[in-house]
Amino acid sequence: MITLTINEKEVTLDKPVSILEAARQAGIKIPTLCYHEALKPYGGCRLCVVEVERMPRLQSACTLMAADGMVVTTESEVISKVRRGILEFLLINHPLDCPYCDKAGECELQDLVNKYGPTVGRYKEEKRKVPESHKDQILARNMERCVVCTRCVRMCNDVQGASAITIIGRGDRSRMEPFSSASFNCEYCGNCLTVCPVGAILSRLYIHSFRPWQVDKEVETICSYCGVGCSLVVQVRDDSIKRVIPEMGLGVNKGLLCSRGRFGYEYINSRERLKTPLVKKNGRLEESTWSEALNLVAEKLSEIKKGEGGSAIAGIASPRCSNEDNYAFQKFMRMVCGSNNIDSVSRTGFAAAQKFFEALLGQGITANIIEGLKNSEVIFVVGGDPTSVNPILGLSIREASRRGAKIIVLGNAKGLDRFKNVQVIPPVFKDVDALEELLAGVSRVKGVRGEKLDIDQGIRALSEKYSEKMSLDGLEELKYALLDSPSTSIVFGMDLVQRANGHRAIFAVAGLTYLLEARLYLLSDRPNEQGLIDVGCVPDMLPGGRPLNIHDFKTKFETAWGGSIPDKDGVTLLEIIEGARNNDIKALYIMGENPVFNLPDGPFIKDALGSLDFLVVQDIFLTETAEIADVVLPALGWSEKSGTYTNLERRIQLQKKAVNASSGMEDWKIISEVSGKMGYKMAYSEVEDIMDEIAEVSPLYRDLSYREIAKGNCLWPYHGEPLRGEIHELPAMAESAGNYGSDFYLALEKPLFHSGTLSRRSQALMKICPEPTLKISGAAAEKLGMQDGDRVKVSTSTGSSEVSVSIDESIKDNRVLLSNNFEGRGVFSLLTYKLDPVTKAPGIEGCEVEIQKG
Amino acid sequence: MFNETVLKEIEEIKARYPDRRSALLPSLYIAQREFGWLSREAMESVSKALNVPEARVRGTASFYAMYKHKPVGRHLIQLCTNISCMILGAEKLVDFLGTKYDVQPNGTSRDNRFSLVIMECIGACGTAPAMLVNTDFHDNLSEKRIEEILDKYK
Ligand code: SF4
Ligand code: SF4
Ligand code: SF4
Ligand code: FES
Ligand code: FES
Repeated sequence: MITLTINEKEVTLDKPVSILEAARQAGIKIPTLCYHEALKPYGGCRLCVVEVERMPRLQSACTLMAADGMVVTTESEVISKVRRGILEFLLINHPLDCPYCDKAGECELQDLVNKYGPTVGRYKEEKRKVPESHKDQILARNMERCVVCTRCVRMCNDVQGASAITIIGRGDRSRMEPFSSASFNCEYCGNCLTVCPVGAILSRLYIHSFRPWQVDKEVETICSYCGVGCSLVVQVRDDSIKRVIPEMGLGVNKGLLCSRGRFGYEYINSRERLKTPLVKKNGRLEESTWSEALNLVAEKLSEIKKGEGGSAIAGIASPRCSNEDNYAFQKFMRMVCGSNNIDSVSRTGFAAAQKFFEALLGQGITANIIEGLKNSEVIFVVGGDPTSVNPILGLSIREASRRGAKIIVLGNAKGLDRFKNVQVIPPVFKDVDALEELLAGVSRVKGVRGEKLDIDQGIRALSEKYSEKMSLDGLEELKYALLDSPSTSIVFGMDLVQRANGHRAIFAVAGLTYLLEARLYLLSDRPNEQGLIDVGCVPDMLPGGRPLNIHDFKTKFETAWGGSIPDKDGVTLLEIIEGARNNDIKALYIMGENPVFNLPDGPFIKDALGSLDFLVVQDIFLTETAEIADVVLPALGWSEKSGTYTNLERRIQLQKKAVNASSGMEDWKIISEVSGKMGYKMAYSEVEDIMDEIAEVSPLYRDLSYREIAKGNCLWPYHGEPLRGEIHELPAMAESAGNYGSDFYLALEKPLFHSGTLSRRSQALMKICPEPTLKISGAAAEKLGMQDGDRVKVSTSTGSSEVSVSIDESIKDNRVLLSNNFEGRGVFSLLTYKLDPVTKAPGIEGCEVEIQKG
Repeated sequence: MFNETVLKEIEEIKARYPDRRSALLPSLYIAQREFGWLSREAMESVSKALNVPEARVRGTASFYAMYKHKPVGRHLIQLCTNISCMILGAEKLVDFLGTKYDVQPNGTSRDNRFSLVIMECIGACGTAPAMLVNTDFHDNLSEKRIEEILDKYK
């Protein structure tokens, strides 16, 4: 206990903090400029000076730790004089252009000068001149206004870990500068923008478009892009979004955002948004009315159900839609269409992995708090780059590294290049084997645990399969890093799930999790992959993760819903598509998904969907899939509707409506309309009613309400009852694919600045990253005689595409990477797949690629 | 980029410190020696060799006036014009360098032979005026002595 006196008030602290924080706890505000709660104290500006009895000179409150018995005064004539003096110095070079500075009204310098400052400056010297820089498309810099508090630089170095900016020069010439033009190393998180106290860093998304005091309303919501589910505040004026800002201390992200969350929201205002329902007439999609379109959907589905049975109908749900939308969707498929054929594109990664992990290790094994990464001693990253798939989760790994945790990486993870301690990059198609070898090595030293006999057996089989001597350099070191760790987290990306033998990778990771008692995190590049599974948008489970084939569960839901659910498990995503091709599936209802673009072997998928009798697509854009639909129904997007989302930690959060959409309907509402027309009434008047129903029928969500969710911290297992994992028989493990003997192999790139096909409608993200590039290693560039920016033709057995190359030093082997975000140039249209027999995820195949100068 | 020998030299410097960032200043000197001045490429090379972000390299370099922030001629003359040197005629020597060798303060001669930087006291007040040519020290300067000295720097 520390007791001190601040302004004659006695303050007691339970842990040591600075005088500044002690004063804040006691409700006493000390002015600051270089201090920021997200950053370490710096002691640069001296505005926070206070008098401390028996200490000579004034002391800076942000850097001095409070000690027992201290007597502190925070305001006095001397202090005011000093503060006024400092501000006068700062204003020597400040342009005082508040009338047209965006920051005016929320500027810390303005507020301070208002309170302490001189009204007239005594310095007559010329002010330094630095023209405002608009070289960058997103962030403008006005270095005349910079007060050199270094908050931006510390944010970029110490928190974001990008180290893109610095203070150059010295004395009154010093200023913040990006190394070259503006985009060097910059991850466009905009976190420097958050912390700049003045108008020196500005967002060009809203520059000069409004004043902070002109905001009509602020809505606290979550991001629509990835499975982290960052909290953000949407500021609205005249029913349109003015800006998106984070709030310190709030949510998973605690004041930080990534480029997508901060700058990517504009897609909702895109002119390409669907405005009316479309119906195919004479082979062409034509504008139609809601009643015509909905009637047609109801009619067609009823007809097919009657003629061919429910199993001829299938549904693809959406990891971008809310729990409520997805719940209504699966209920509609099961109760109204009479089909369990419900799945989502998450089957290509998250849903497939999650299911196998839970079968092996029990429900909830992946429900770990992201914050926990910061306290791990060792973080093992495999299967993808967390800093691009889930950027805010990636920041926790970087922070752990700064704190001294060991970061060990199997495969590539570019964003961790400066943070990793050990990295092993296995040869192409040998990564699954490397993982198994690692597990075998660990178990050889550690033994098995004897708790889960099936897993023990699987591990033993692996130790027999692999010899004691590790086949790759560095694996041994990796093994000992894991063995020596008192607390381990494993971060698993989906790259290795997209293999025809992906289940072996999952088993190996599960085995390591089990042997090391590690925390397991699954990367998730969509906002509701977990929620989608939890509310039952999978072919074999009812809401709450209740297996369909357990009779009691099924009858309970049948009673609650008033009807019958088909007995047999449905089929998974790619089986639905193949079913469409084989005419087993006649009708497909797709909500918020674009399988033609988002699945490997695009041409085949398009062909299969084209052969359906009836295809309905509900979306906010006319996607590649919507283009070939019979009926297209315009839905609402992020910020236009409310609903709950379950993030990768399994935290349930509210996404709230902020503005009114000019057209479109909530997904759940469209579903309930169709359902009503097909004779099953869904009596929801608002979205909250659906959550109430979920809480009633699903033991996992017992007693959950919007009120409780809104309070935050709605964490797994809520008040519910998770099920134990059970696996009856370990599947036979398929062999690794061999070396195909090609010079280069094409693989999927998961970029930081894009996400699915939404981000291509965000002007800001398109400015940051306007076109796809083929990432190749320096060695490959040399071999091919190519340079950055050269146009090339990339051809596989499936197709070809023209893009420019960019040399990426983080690639160390003969992989070449292409993203799947840009229209007509997605990598999935160039690859084929082979189903993993266990997870039913599509294993990417046909990666042999030829690269020619274009 | 640095060649193998230079990289080895930097490795040796790195080994002297617990934190690789401590090797930044000496490595910048090496880069300056290799590239003539701290060009973008020079700083990139340091960044790569030390695995320190380029922004930090640049920030650090720009703080110190004694690094060369723009290209210089084959030889760098650093002439003192502080009080002792000034009294003994250093300013005339500046003019002399201009007329005879075509080099102005902070400039480079057109034949790229000399660059000139005016220095604050270099601690040779007793034998002023004084200058450094590259790393060699010369004092008791006069126009004639300068001619003799600079003759050796082609
Ligand atoms: S946007 Fe982010 S990465 Fe870029 S300079 Fe600012 S803090 Fe650094
Ligand atoms: S740009 Fe802003 S945050 Fe950065 S040093 Fe200047 S005033 Fe501080
Ligand atoms: S990390 Fe994910 S949830 Fe957070 S802002 Fe970025 S995209 Fe949105
Ligand atoms: S806030 Fe304490 S010195 Fe700047
Ligand atoms: S004044 Fe020139 S050396 Fe001291």
